Amino acid sequence: MNWKIHSVFVISILALLSFGLQSYGQEKSAADIAVEAAKKYKGITLRVIWEAGLQAQDPIVFSGPLWEKLTGIKVQTIETPFPELFSKIVTAHLAGSGDFDVINYVPAWQADLVEAGALEPLDDFMNKYMPPGALDDIHPTYQQWLVWKGKHYGIFDDGDTFVMYYRKDLFGDKANQEAYKAKYGQDLRPPQTWQEWDQICAFFKERLAASGGHGCAIQRAAGQTYPWVEEELRVYGAKFFDPETMKATINSEAAIKALTDMVNNNKNMPPGIEKWSFIEVFSAWMDGKVAMIISWPPPGRWSQGYRDRAEQLKWMPETKVIGKVGYALPPGGHPELAAGFNLGVSSDSPNKEAAYLFIQWLTSKEISLQRVMLPYALRDPYRLSHYESKEYRSQWDNAGEYLDVLKLGAEKGLLDLAIPGAREYEEALDRAAVAAYAGTPPKEALDKAAAEWDAITQRLGVDKQREAYKEWASRPNAYPR
Amino acid sequence: MQIIDTPVVPTGSKKSVEAVAPQRGKFIWGGRGIRYLLVAPSVILILSFTIFPILYLFWISFLDWTFQRRERPFIGLGNYIQVLQDTRMWEALGHTLFIMVVAVSAELILGLLLAQVLVGKLPGKQILIPLLILPTIMCPVVVGYGWRMLWDTQYGPINEVLGWILGHPVNLVWLINPKTVYFSLIVAEVWQWTPFMFLALLAGLSAINPELYEAAALDGATAWQTFWHMTLPLIRPIMIIALIIRSLDVFKIFDLIFALTVGGPGTFTETITFYIYTLGFKNFRLGYTAAMAFIVLILVSTATTLFLRRFSEE
Repeated sequence: MNWKIHSVFVISILALLSFGLQSYGQEKSAADIAVEAAKKYKGITLRVIWEAGLQAQDPIVFSGPLWEKLTGIKVQTIETPFPELFSKIVTAHLAGSGDFDVINYVPAWQADLVEAGALEPLDDFMNKYMPPGALDDIHPTYQQWLVWKGKHYGIFDDGDTFVMYYRKDLFGDKANQEAYKAKYGQDLRPPQTWQEWDQICAFFKERLAASGGHGCAIQRAAGQTYPWVEEELRVYGAKFFDPETMKATINSEAAIKALTDMVNNNKNMPPGIEKWSFIEVFSAWMDGKVAMIISWPPPGRWSQGYRDRAEQLKWMPETKVIGKVGYALPPGGHPELAAGFNLGVSSDSPNKEAAYLFIQWLTSKEISLQRVMLPYALRDPYRLSHYESKEYRSQWDNAGEYLDVLKLGAEKGLLDLAIPGAREYEEALDRAAVAAYAGTPPKEALDKAAAEWDAITQRLGVDKQREAYKEWASRPNAYPR
Repeated sequence: MQIIDTPVVPTGSKKSVEAVAPQRGKFIWGGRGIRYLLVAPSVILILSFTIFPILYLFWISFLDWTFQRRERPFIGLGNYIQVLQDTRMWEALGHTLFIMVVAVSAELILGLLLAQVLVGKLPGKQILIPLLILPTIMCPVVVGYGWRMLWDTQYGPINEVLGWILGHPVNLVWLINPKTVYFSLIVAEVWQWTPFMFLALLAGLSAINPELYEAAALDGATAWQTFWHMTLPLIRPIMIIALIIRSLDVFKIFDLIFALTVGGPGTFTETITFYIYTLGFKNFRLGYTAAMAFIVLILVSTATTLFLRRFSEE
């Protein structure tokens, strides 16, 4: 009897121990696993290429030093201005210099970087170190960026989506509401179509003129106007290619209408809008000079008085719109998920595993939440847990509203075109748009761009491009559903 | 006077053979060999850093080398044929030639005017000349960004001043409007490089013997006649050299385009160097870019050679 009791006791203890160990194993997060595994590389230096400026403050000030403290691995950040980021990655790879271990790249470049052999597949590392389900928390839309041709090459790390910011005080003002109703016979509300956007821009242009203000602003400068074009074209019903022939269809009737409306919109924006980039739009917004803007997520935080939260933000103009900011999806309801960032491992890196572990740690649930909440960093929420974070939602009065719009943007948003040659296609479209802003008839500009697209497709191989396009177009967020 | 102190030995004599041929060691350390040894590092450096890259570039121009593909097949003259059919390249060449002709002509005229004014004795000349040449010593990309601010539609002083003069706000979008964009570019270019032309021509004018002017005055020549029939022919050689230097330089214009227009609107101000940069360093079509660079090199070298030959014949 005693023997039996003893055996039962021992078995129970063993079972409890086993259960406990199992639970302990399950509770170990992606971050913990990465830190533990990376300790064996103590003393090495990881070189990471990162966008220069505020973006780079994250690895320089926060994540780099913290990773070094946890693992003994140093992080050296190579700051590179955004327009040169792609060139620098490719040049280093072509030279085989092994300059970078971690590559911070725009997901739309993934196809090109994989074709060039610059990115290391991450599947083996992920099988070894990533706890099951650890990536499920990444918003399903952004999960579409993790894989190219069945292999993982990067982990998503920056939930960029366009957001419309509008002045709640101006929209809620009774005099404005009455004047708008009297003029257009409609209620004044955040615009839901591009026609409505233009109408409200014209209305506020008139109303704010006396105080030196303008109706609205969207950046139109060469180089970064293509995401707006890609968005509006698709919202108007245009497609990029004929999926069978791979002939460019960016000069379809719908596309011409979209670009024509964009050109006309410029008339109700500040003079010289054709040369405005992010900073001009942001400055006008912070200064209270415009009633609406469409931009990336950071202005939504910064206009709520973030300047005093970090030394890095002291250069910013003081916000005059604090507490007056409303958030909504841009007209059409399908914002461009413009750019964003993936983190990948360079195929030329001598420290591939350590580089991967750093990425796994950076993008883990707990570390990424801290990073998207850094006041100075430009990383934007991209995990479901980021959007629901109580800490984030309490950062300012209507931070919850902001996070809800970012989440909705991720859900309804449109992916950048991401097939081999994506950058060349984008540049041709960008040039066409700027030419149209300067007076070239939109049809002529788009016909020229379409011819350039066809030439790129021919050069890269029609069959290969067709296969890539079909794969991209089959993603839920390629076109409005 | 004999500078090199070498023994003079009659050629053909036995003594001469003994004196000149003998010592191999002396050939290396004491004779012509040492000269070769001394220049060898420079020659090797030049070969390594100039000739080798050019030859390598030439080889690349026969390959279908793009970054998206790991194979780099040999395609013979394929890239050259495609480049010659590239309308964007011809357009870019046209834009470049237009800027070159207009800007260099303006620089020549303004530089000559300034040089004429400052060639004589003028109070404050020693302060004025260094001030005038300041733009030339500035980095072109800084000049570009400076002018970008000046031409800015909303905050730029040029629109502001025009607004004061005209009595109403001026919102010209200088760097986007096709009617003003070349003007804006050329003004920036001329502002920076006129002082170079001025300095070169001032040197030419200062070298003219004043007695010639006195003689012309005695012969009753007018100021215009003196300038046209005497000054201009005398400074012609230096003027042509300055023109060649400036033309070659403007042909390579890149920084101003990069800072002011990025080749836009569309490709309206895209110059040949900017197009080559885009193809090579943004799109990484390396074989194609190499072929285009060679074609441009041939065109420029031919034009310069013809120009120089004609000048030498005259």
